[in-house]
Amino acid sequence: MTALQVSHVSKSFPGVRALHDVSMTMTAGSVHALLGENGAGKSTLIKIVTGIYKPDSGTVSMNGATVRFANPRQAAAGGLGVVHQERNLVTRFSVGENILLDRLGNRALSLVDYASLHREAEKWLKLLDLDVDPRTIVSRLSVAQMQLVEIGKALSLQSRVLLLDEPTASLTPNESTVLFRILRRLRDDGVAIGFVSHKLEEVFDICDRVTVLRDGRNACDSADLSQLDRGDVVQMMIGRAERITTRAPRPRTDAAPYLELRGYGSGAGHRDINLTVRPGEIVGLYGLVGAGRSELARAILGLSKQIAGEVRVLGRAVRITSVAQALHDHGIGYVSEDRKAEGLILMHSVLANGGITIWRKLANALGLLRDTTIAARVGPVLKRLELKTPSVHQIIGNLSGGNQQKVSVAKWLAAGVRLLIIDEPSVGIDIKTKAYLHDLIHELAEQGTAILLITSDMPEMIDVADRILVMDSYRIKGEVENDRSYDPVSRAIMGLIHERAAA
Amino acid sequence: MAHAGADRPIPPGSAPRRMSSGMRLLLGNEFGLAVLILLTAATFALTLDGFTSPFSVYTIGRQIGIDTMIGLAMMAVIVTGGLDLSVGAIGVCSAMLFGWLMQVMGVPVLVAVPLAVLFGASLGFVNGFTVVMSGVHSFIITLASMSIFFGVMIFLTKAAAFNGLPPQVQAFGKMRVLPGISPLLLITVAVCAALVVFYRYSTLGRQMLAAGANARAAELSGIRTGRVIVACHMLTGLLAAIAGLMVTARTGAAVPSMAGQLGQDWLLPAFLAPVLGGTLLSGGRVSVIGTLLGATFINIMTSGLLLMRVGEFWILAFLGMMLLIAVLADRTRQIFLTSRGMI
Repeated sequence: MTALQVSHVSKSFPGVRALHDVSMTMTAGSVHALLGENGAGKSTLIKIVTGIYKPDSGTVSMNGATVRFANPRQAAAGGLGVVHQERNLVTRFSVGENILLDRLGNRALSLVDYASLHREAEKWLKLLDLDVDPRTIVSRLSVAQMQLVEIGKALSLQSRVLLLDEPTASLTPNESTVLFRILRRLRDDGVAIGFVSHKLEEVFDICDRVTVLRDGRNACDSADLSQLDRGDVVQMMIGRAERITTRAPRPRTDAAPYLELRGYGSGAGHRDINLTVRPGEIVGLYGLVGAGRSELARAILGLSKQIAGEVRVLGRAVRITSVAQALHDHGIGYVSEDRKAEGLILMHSVLANGGITIWRKLANALGLLRDTTIAARVGPVLKRLELKTPSVHQIIGNLSGGNQQKVSVAKWLAAGVRLLIIDEPSVGIDIKTKAYLHDLIHELAEQGTAILLITSDMPEMIDVADRILVMDSYRIKGEVENDRSYDPVSRAIMGLIHERAAA
Repeated sequence: MAHAGADRPIPPGSAPRRMSSGMRLLLGNEFGLAVLILLTAATFALTLDGFTSPFSVYTIGRQIGIDTMIGLAMMAVIVTGGLDLSVGAIGVCSAMLFGWLMQVMGVPVLVAVPLAVLFGASLGFVNGFTVVMSGVHSFIITLASMSIFFGVMIFLTKAAAFNGLPPQVQAFGKMRVLPGISPLLLITVAVCAALVVFYRYSTLGRQMLAAGANARAAELSGIRTGRVIVACHMLTGLLAAIAGLMVTARTGAAVPSMAGQLGQDWLLPAFLAPVLGGTLLSGGRVSVIGTLLGATFINIMTSGLLLMRVGEFWILAFLGMMLLIAVLADRTRQIFLTSRGMI
């Protein structure tokens, strides 16, 4: 039964045609993947379906009747629930209040009946196997639990169509597994689920139909996923076959360590950290969300206090107390996992973002510097990264995720850092850019840069790192030599993480 | 509003669209203000007797100089997304120190000027340091420091003015460099030019904009944001002190009440000029020229209304309305630009 049908929808923005004659048919009791690279039009399509944008032409219908939602609220009332990529919860409110936020009371001044509210919320939590008290404040939940609360919120509106925009982007593999189990159950209950993801493994795991968008057009419309393989899908997404990404393991380097932590402990809670990164080496740091990996990166940069052990840069004991010191004195750079909040200044230009790390170095005696001076240093790096922008003066918020990520890497390359800590390099970027970044990381290592790679993406870790340190509860649990054989290496990693449970 | 438009669809392989510089100019506050200024000035010149008299032009210009300086002082801290309620108090305190140095200590004018300006910067340092160390919003910190600075100043001066300043001070305030142009206005124009260069070409100026737009990203890019924010407050104090000295020159005396109780009289022009000029209240973007134009516009309006014998209190209410309209216009433009993916 057709639950949601998008027929021949087109949408233009000034100067850009975002969608051109796009169709998609979602059936009840099916999980439908919506795929496409960044900028292919997925977000625009979701926004049209939920009434944020009006289509220029074409129609959206639910259960056979044409609908024209004026806003997401109407869409929700019409049985169309959306869980956006970014969290939309009021973190200081309870789980129950969040789930029923728009139905707290009938009138502005009527009192909230908390007992029945929490009873009602509990029903949805149970459906989602989420074992939390509805009175819990949302900010105390894990990212995965928040995700489920959002789904509960969407379901509580009696949604028969549920759209999930990259629901696993911030989940660990285990949490994703739990989410999928729940999605399968919802599917079996007859909900039509739309699933946007960049992770093809997941798509093949859970989806049965697929719509691929490329350049705002259908590369395929609601095709049967079982008739396709990974290569077909990738080809549709990027318009050519996926490059084979298995690399040969790189020879071990025995260069003197660039960075060495010995018995290191931080104010953030790290204990007994022993870690060595050599020039030309790519060291992976794997762990589940909350294992303390990004926090370790920040501690190394001086954002948390060092309280035990020692930090050595090129054999010399140092004490780093600020990012400025880490960068200017020790050549350490950090590509943040949160590009929008921490990696870039979105309202400033490409040039201002790319050159921010070298202003100090480039300024003359009066502290003055010119755009041309900065462009001379940053320009070649941007060119090397094949950044697509009409001009270096473009506001960076206007670029696609992949291009933004290139700039957040470029600023460290421009600064010529000797150790680059890269935190989740491929969150929210397309396959092409991802493969490109992996090549780049290898190229940098070949040229002698020491790389510390943090990622929750197991295939990425195994494809890129030379050796993998496994972290859990702010400690290093062990090390796995990476020979690029997916199954044994991932098993060894998960084994190290789950040691805790056995012990 | 900064992050909106990030997920705008951009066809891969083709460049995203770019606003032409002409479009930017048209949508900017500067252009609209310049048109408004020309229209109002022309209307008043044609309809009001005495609006274009040499005396009127001279005093309007002089007051534009002072108000712009006050606006620039506030702008320097709005950059961080914060504000400084103590600009008036800092201005008056610096002016009083200026008067005391010359009248009581017999310090020559040319020595007293830099000392008073540095004093303003040091009061700004106190603000900035407290804001950064405490992590409390600058609104509360400067509300407190405004009362402290002003209170201590009243205690030390016993609320008495310094009337016996060297004659050069008043002469400077009444001087005409070119026919109808006050040197105070020229000082402001020079400071504007310096600030344009500062925000565009200096490392510190760029760091201020970066820290103001996104402090976390700036910090993680190796900028010592704490120091930069303190520097913003110091710049505010320095500019407020210059404004205080300009008022002293205009009146020929350093008077504790020259900016009203607690220096509050400065707050309206302090916010009005930069906000009208397009400085973003949330930080990260400034418009020096816009601030100059903003102060110009409000002074032309005020003078015109005064000539029309509109009461002073109506003018205050009018300026308050202007501030509201400016803020609303700013929001509207933001929404418009965001919806078109231009910011």
